[in-house]
Amino acid sequence: MKNLKTILKAAFALCIAAPLFSSCGNDEDTITYQNITSEYTINDEMVANQKKASKKDVAVLLVAFGSTWNNAFNAFDATKAAYEAAFPEADVYFSFSSDICINRASAGENTDDEGNIVKRDYYEPRYLLHAIGAAKYSKIYVQSLQVIPGEEFSAVVASVKKFMNNGYVTSAHLDDQYLAELSENKAIYLGLPLLNDPNTDVPAVANQLDTLYSTEASQGVVAFMGHGNPDTYDTFKANVRYQQLESALQAINPNYYVGTVDMENNFKEDVLSRMQSNGYTSGKIYLHALMSIAGDHAHNDMAGAGEDYWDASDEESGDNSWYEYFNHKQYEAVVPTSNNHPLGLLELEGIRNIWISHTRNAEPLEDAYHSMYPEE
Amino acid sequence: MTLHRTLHAAAATAIGILSPLLLPVSASALAGEMPYADGMPNDTLREVVVTATGTQHLLRDVPVQTEVITRSQLEAFGGRSIEDILSGLTSSFAFSQGDMGSQMQLGGLGNSYILILIDGKRIHGDVGGENDLGVIDPHNIERIEIVKGAQSALYGSDAMAGVINIITKKRTDKGFFAENTTRYGMHNDLRQHNSVILSSGKFASQTNFQMQRSDGWQNTSEEFAEGMVLTDSKKKTSNAFRNWQIAERLTYKPSGRTELYAEGSYYKKNICRPRNGTHPSCDVYTYDLRYNNASASAGAKIYLADESAGTQRSYISLDADWDKHAYYYDYTAGTYESILLKGEEFGQLDGEWYPVLMKPGQSRLQSDQQRVMTQLKGIFYLPAQNTLNAGAEYRYDYLRAPERTENGSADDWTAAVYIQDEFDRLEWLNLTAGLRLVENVNFGVRLTPKASAMFSAGDFRFRLGWSQGFKTPTVKELHYRYLHVMGSTSFFNIGNTSLNPQTSNYYSANIEYRGRRFTASVTGYLNKLDNMIALVNVPVGEIPAGITSAYLGDGSGAVQARMYKNMDDARTCGLDVTLSYKVTKELTLSSAYSYLDTEANLYDVSKDKMTAVTIDGTAHHKWSASATYNHSFGKLYKLGVGLSTRGSSTRYYQNNGNGKPFQIWRINTTHNFGRAGKPLAYRLEVGVDNIFNYVDRTMHPYHLGTNTSGTTVHGTFSITFNYGKRLQKHKTSTKVKTNYEES
Repeated sequence: MKNLKTILKAAFALCIAAPLFSSCGNDEDTITYQNITSEYTINDEMVANQKKASKKDVAVLLVAFGSTWNNAFNAFDATKAAYEAAFPEADVYFSFSSDICINRASAGENTDDEGNIVKRDYYEPRYLLHAIGAAKYSKIYVQSLQVIPGEEFSAVVASVKKFMNNGYVTSAHLDDQYLAELSENKAIYLGLPLLNDPNTDVPAVANQLDTLYSTEASQGVVAFMGHGNPDTYDTFKANVRYQQLESALQAINPNYYVGTVDMENNFKEDVLSRMQSNGYTSGKIYLHALMSIAGDHAHNDMAGAGEDYWDASDEESGDNSWYEYFNHKQYEAVVPTSNNHPLGLLELEGIRNIWISHTRNAEPLEDAYHSMYPEE
Repeated sequence: MTLHRTLHAAAATAIGILSPLLLPVSASALAGEMPYADGMPNDTLREVVVTATGTQHLLRDVPVQTEVITRSQLEAFGGRSIEDILSGLTSSFAFSQGDMGSQMQLGGLGNSYILILIDGKRIHGDVGGENDLGVIDPHNIERIEIVKGAQSALYGSDAMAGVINIITKKRTDKGFFAENTTRYGMHNDLRQHNSVILSSGKFASQTNFQMQRSDGWQNTSEEFAEGMVLTDSKKKTSNAFRNWQIAERLTYKPSGRTELYAEGSYYKKNICRPRNGTHPSCDVYTYDLRYNNASASAGAKIYLADESAGTQRSYISLDADWDKHAYYYDYTAGTYESILLKGEEFGQLDGEWYPVLMKPGQSRLQSDQQRVMTQLKGIFYLPAQNTLNAGAEYRYDYLRAPERTENGSADDWTAAVYIQDEFDRLEWLNLTAGLRLVENVNFGVRLTPKASAMFSAGDFRFRLGWSQGFKTPTVKELHYRYLHVMGSTSFFNIGNTSLNPQTSNYYSANIEYRGRRFTASVTGYLNKLDNMIALVNVPVGEIPAGITSAYLGDGSGAVQARMYKNMDDARTCGLDVTLSYKVTKELTLSSAYSYLDTEANLYDVSKDKMTAVTIDGTAHHKWSASATYNHSFGKLYKLGVGLSTRGSSTRYYQNNGNGKPFQIWRINTTHNFGRAGKPLAYRLEVGVDNIFNYVDRTMHPYHLGTNTSGTTVHGTFSITFNYGKRLQKHKTSTKVKTNYEES
């Protein structure tokens, strides 16, 4: 068989060699390179114009994952405005780290409450950071708008490190001396996620939530729905924050629960199981999103109502909403809304202020800068 | 005679009973009697098939049950596409239209289990488990042969559902031949086929050019997305597309014993998606899709005896093929893509996933599948009525997908040797047994046996078959990974290098009566699959590190990670019945019915247990039926009328609802002009598909029973010019070339 195989291999090699690996790889790499550099240029010009107009020398870059919901756009706008009020000396920039959110926001996702299509252009943090560096702001804050220090936050950290290491394509390097000075002057700050510190942030958030929802907790269960993190070797293992937050909340009132969409052993059925073992088997359950904004998860996975959100043959299906699930489990589920939408955490002023305090109290990034010319 | 009369009466009764459901009957696998220009009747009694054994057999005497769609059926039907033809002229297939191509099912199993051959050669390339069947020119088909189950040792044991062999039109006589066929229908649906053949005897050239286009259609503007029912979705039920293909085949016969050929083709398809939508999560697309295919092949066939030896000439052939199927995004609006940067010019970003804004007019390769195959085979007519069929095959698959594989590319090779013997010494018994030994680079060696027996008694045939299948995971199942955005739901599909090969055991039993006016066939089959590979939901954490954040779906919405995994097992079983009755010389009734039952045991990760489910997309009952009438008015004009129907019961799906049952009716008329033997002949077809305007308006993204757009009218004009040695037009399939001819 081996000999035969060799003969056959030789036969096809002779016949076919020429066209086999014809490639357009180089052309594609060239286009990719040009697209990257042209996008740097567009961002650089936008930021340069902003800096020229404002004459400010401090930049705050807010990094959200992104959304495609108009109520979320409003929440982001309000957050940016709150930051502008809190940091009057700074130009505040806002970005989405999700490519797909940028694409869809730009194409006009959803409508506002009057039914008008809303198109929004959002920036990408890596390009915006390049532009902020190119404009040579003397102090830069990068604030993560993530809830837990998980995988998305790790991507924010990576992009700041890349920035400080001048990690750009060869023709678009920043002034390395400027980056060195930024580091020496301790002028590059990384603002941490909402629940970064289990000892300070978690109790602070628990207190804020209780301030808002203590009335509900006195009438029934208040269940928060977080996202959950892929706790793998390569990402920060941040899911524990949900458990810590539940403990902190239950220390205030045992009627608080914190579940997630994606965290192993902390799905809606696990929340139900904990409620039942605590003796709460019927009555009201108020559902709130533990996410920075109320988007798909809040509207569908949590608050979705009707037959599209309930499959009786598979009650624990991820497609069954929390609202339908708890209603079918003898509870009376309630989704408090504002202007017909559930609220995200950025829309709760007390919580938003914790993020702002993270920016204000951010530590300068140590050892982030490494010269791209190490031999010098 | 008494028996025949009884059978005719039985046939009339049987078709009569089926009539409320089926009548007037369509084109089933059998019959379909259209006169040709020269007035000779076709007859399935004289139909020759090759797929099952690799040797020519009269259909009635083929040892392995074979379903045939004849040239005359194709012409009477006037099909738009191969999907149209297969679903209209058999009851075995079910189709769903995807963005990228056709999701096809045969006996409950999908594309990857179906081997589609064009003249015995595998078609190449799939995207998202869908095959682009646009490469098959519907007007260049001589006949279609369908063999179910992994019954053939010749074509690979991976055809667990079956083999579809598209036999293209060929002409072997000297002279010049040119043909143009243009079909136009509603939705601006244009299909054009052009063929030019030049033959000097030793040397022949055949050039084919085809083009197809359609504006697509929309059955409903309702779409469930973002947790609400949108009423102004622009998503189409079938997307607009255009394609064209050019193919050249050169053949040279230096002697009566030797044939050489070389051929090449180029194909391009653009799939255009709506740009006027207002809901980017479901009906706004920022890029169109494009395929570029190319192929080249060469081969030789050497007969071991002169032509004087007749049709039973042993031969050896060697073929080498190269195929390429490349898939691109063509951007129509600015789109951030997460691209893996590779190259020194990217500096520190070399090796990183980076967001890159792709601009309108730019393109990006998604996958490039290339394949090289060489095949050495021989057919030897041995003493004592043994026919030995032996061969060796080597296949190399190469996948280049910069953003969709871990290392940018992946490859795989498979080698196989096979041997098959047909023993036909006894008049009442034909035994065929085959062995195929497969060696795969990753999965070692496996031997798969196949055996079939046919008992003959007068016009009756009884067939028994058993075959084992063996299918190693494809390069894509092992290595490919990509984000699949389906409306407002995003899936991240992940290849799995820990997969095991799939195996199957297929059992079939058939009884057939094939008389001069009446034919009937009943086939029962059971297909048991082990280690079946399917995409199943897995935790998001299984998405490869480094690309999770780039691909976490549409923002606040989650992405569902899915990975190819070996399921425990699955089985499909069914019953196929075909009937055909030639009422008069001019009128033929035919019908086909398929019963199918499927069950797969799937491992439910979230519940950590096995669950038994119906295989997605299967329906218990499918049927088709037709009545065809032909009449000559003088020597210059012949009329053909075909009334047909097809239908299906509910199609079952695990997600997004079941497909509704449907039944659709169609009429097609054919008008042949021209005197037999003259160089010029004309043909006109006019037809109405879906006469009663059935439309499934189920909202997106729920499943449709059928994606037909409602009533459509189509017309076809064909002109042929035939200069040179007078040809027996369209007689290839009826030439009796074997000793299997009835006595």
